[in-house]
Amino acid sequence: MNLSFAGCGFLGIYHIGVAVCFKKYAPHLLLDKISGASAGAIAACCLLCDLPLGEMTSNLLRLAREARQRALGPFSPSFNVQEILLESLQKFLPDDAHIRVSGKLHISLTRVYDGKNVIVSQYNSREDLLQALLASSFIPFFCGLLPPRFHGIRYMDGGFSDNLPTLDENTITVSPFCGESDICPRDISSQLFHVNFANTSIELSRQNMYRFARILFPPNPEVLSNMCKQGFDDALRFLNRNNLINCTRCLAVQSTFVVSETLEDSSTEYDPECLECKMHRQEALVANLPETVMMIFQDAIDSANKGLINWLFKHRSIKLLSLLSLPYTLPVDVVYATFTKFILNAPRIQKGLMEMSRYFLEQLSLVFPQINVYYQPIPQTIKCHVNFMEYGSNIYDVESIDDSIFNQQKTNLNLTLKYNDAKPWTNCKQSTNCVINMSDLTMSTINNDTLENILQVTGEQETLMAYYYMDNSSEVHITELFDVNNEKLELKDDCIRLHQPQEESLQTFKTGDWNENHWVVQRNEKNHNRRNSNQPSFSNNLSKNDRQDNHNNHPESESNWNTTVYLNP
Amino acid sequence: MAESNEIALDSNGWLWGWFSWSRCSSTMLRTVEKKIFSYLKTGYRGWYVDIGPVVGVSDKIWTISLNQDSPKTPIVLLHGLGAGVALWVLNLDTLAMHRPVYAIDLLGFGRSSRPVFSKQAEEAENQLINSVEEWRKEMQLEKFVLLGHSMGGFLAASYAIQYPKRVKHLILADPWGFLEKPNDVANKVGLPLWLKALTYVVIPLNPLWAVRFAGPFGQRLIETIRPDIVKKFAPFLKDDPSIISQYIHQCNIQNPSGESAFYAMMQGFGWAKNPIVKRIDKLDPQISITLLYGSRSWIDNLNDETIKQIRSSSYVNVQIISGAGHHVYLDKCDTFNKYVLEACALNDTNSKLMYSTNKEDLKLIENDDVKNNDIVKKKGVYN
Repeated sequence: MNLSFAGCGFLGIYHIGVAVCFKKYAPHLLLDKISGASAGAIAACCLLCDLPLGEMTSNLLRLAREARQRALGPFSPSFNVQEILLESLQKFLPDDAHIRVSGKLHISLTRVYDGKNVIVSQYNSREDLLQALLASSFIPFFCGLLPPRFHGIRYMDGGFSDNLPTLDENTITVSPFCGESDICPRDISSQLFHVNFANTSIELSRQNMYRFARILFPPNPEVLSNMCKQGFDDALRFLNRNNLINCTRCLAVQSTFVVSETLEDSSTEYDPECLECKMHRQEALVANLPETVMMIFQDAIDSANKGLINWLFKHRSIKLLSLLSLPYTLPVDVVYATFTKFILNAPRIQKGLMEMSRYFLEQLSLVFPQINVYYQPIPQTIKCHVNFMEYGSNIYDVESIDDSIFNQQKTNLNLTLKYNDAKPWTNCKQSTNCVINMSDLTMSTINNDTLENILQVTGEQETLMAYYYMDNSSEVHITELFDVNNEKLELKDDCIRLHQPQEESLQTFKTGDWNENHWVVQRNEKNHNRRNSNQPSFSNNLSKNDRQDNHNNHPESESNWNTTVYLNP
Repeated sequence: MAESNEIALDSNGWLWGWFSWSRCSSTMLRTVEKKIFSYLKTGYRGWYVDIGPVVGVSDKIWTISLNQDSPKTPIVLLHGLGAGVALWVLNLDTLAMHRPVYAIDLLGFGRSSRPVFSKQAEEAENQLINSVEEWRKEMQLEKFVLLGHSMGGFLAASYAIQYPKRVKHLILADPWGFLEKPNDVANKVGLPLWLKALTYVVIPLNPLWAVRFAGPFGQRLIETIRPDIVKKFAPFLKDDPSIISQYIHQCNIQNPSGESAFYAMMQGFGWAKNPIVKRIDKLDPQISITLLYGSRSWIDNLNDETIKQIRSSSYVNVQIISGAGHHVYLDKCDTFNKYVLEACALNDTNSKLMYSTNKEDLKLIENDDVKNNDIVKKKGVYN
């Protein structure tokens, strides 16, 4: 048998009374699905998670007190129902709440964009469940302006579409409004005029009118306490009428027989002879709300009535005064609420602004590719390994130059360049000149691993590309490219690969400016890229004629620099 | 008899018709009713019964009959406030399987003529009951089972008190007007001022004033405040359940003479001026009663024990249909039909035995192959 709780705002205290009664006298009814909307959904969740009802009562009373404190009641800008709800739910819901209630708790939600009713019953995480509960109790303008999202879609109070979700025929409906529900207050009225609001039958009686007015404006603790008591009594009467109060033994027998019993079934299966059941029922008939819950109410009533301040604030003149001073207090309240909201949302706003500006710049750079405003995060450290070999003067002998020349290297130098770039991003488009102190050969063992790799690569592989050219100051530049990946790749692939500056970078050295311990490395990535793409047809054959010409212009011994630069972001 | 014999609407002249706020017409009502009855499986016959000058000059009562040729005791259905014959559509088929069924639009309601009733409670009640009696005479029914729902239940009980010879069995489905108005209703809660003002304004109006006030939006209004009624018909009227709201709308936007009769019988916020409880002792003890209530309805207020005490010498069977509300005949129509058929069958087979309520006698009937086994058992449980 399923249970369904109607959404009812602050009248949810009625559900607590019903829940107390069910827990005490009919725990077997709580094993199936429980559905609800708004406050009913929270009550259903609490029942399924077996939360301490006393705590829930005191929480609701606290919420009601806070709402009553202000001159505008719950409509004060600084009163945030959702926040208080979230806070108390966070506190009390167990960590595995979503696992416990998945498939059992059916929450009725109203989808904002089409007003259709949605009933959810699967929750992936605890946050998910909280979000669904909050969305189900979101009343626009009362709780805020933007409805919360659940699974990315905005939802609001289920009470707008289906306030009393019934899952099947055998659903016990619980509503704090007198009407055609199974458990509801029975007002003394003619019961002639009914309206049906979002599946909740509400009778047009005076008491119901009063209750309706109290959905959003909580009454004083005495009235709340009476509502809770009424819920307990109504539930008890329902159980009694349908013979659902049984002793534990009979319950055990029953539950083994019937999984989904209807009201009629259970009444026929009821064994009137069981003495224990009779005792149990007799006891239940005179029962009242449990002491623990009553105590909480008593405390709340006392705290609301006793004390000079309470007495003062209850006085009519003070109430009038607070109403009259509303034009002055309200702006302060509004400012305060706005300010707190702003403070809370400040980090989010900043982040949003940053993202917006970035997006704007990106779009700009797409539109005007010439204006290079593209912002790229600069690596903090650039490691640059330079490996260069020197070989002998037989370079002039054109015939002898072949691939084996690299095995005859005499000197190996290894440079490690650590380059900390802390410059603002506006400077990054300029080519950076940095000074490298050439370390001693013995110091170059820091990256032994890499050095050896480089050696291996240069030793075993053929150059993908080598080009030699002379610049204005009649200095020869030699650039050779190696594929550093150990895969055997075809030349074609390598050429493509070369277009990617991340894989390999080229470094040109001005050989003419050779200094023992002082070099200037010119790094201009853009240039390199262009050079790579412009000269893909260079082969790895070193014995080219034009090369000889270059070399002939330089009688002194040459160094052939084979450099590999790693850019480590 | 012919359908062409339409009742003319209150003749305020053709000019007034142009300015009429509500779009009402008897043709529309007829069409909608026809549409609803087209879902019936049994053949039906509908005609006006001319009952002569009962309240107005010449009153006619719209009557629906099914299975008229059956020799068994017929059953007569009286609808509730704001309803009409077509709302019985879920029950007519089943009830007509065994006996003749007559359903009428009460005078001043539905398609019947709408004369001006008296403003006095007792007189208005008598006028309504007399119209039923005149109709019976016209129909030449000797004895019948009388079934009334809500206000129809009130009238049925009243009719049974006045014309006990005609009623074989009284079935009251969630009847209105049984209890007295309690005195302390108003003092119980401190109502806000605006609410008091609202009640003050609304009380002098006819119960269903809002439907007429809304004019062309009346049907929308019915769909908004009572979507449950439309929903109850949905499984039966698969194609177009909105015709129900259309029907209710058309029933109630015409001149509300029946409603004002009801208003005359009512006091406060829907209480009867002359509640049945006060008069039930005058009911012939020979008449057996079946009371059918929805478990979600008024049973808690109505002390069925009091009726039992008053009628301790006669047969009273109280049934609570679980899961049903005020509209018992719609909410759980199968269960409702079952109970009604059982009640009718009870009277057919062993009418003499029925007049004593001893359980032994009931068991005798049980042996007489009547399926009231269930009833006795249920009585034991619910008492």
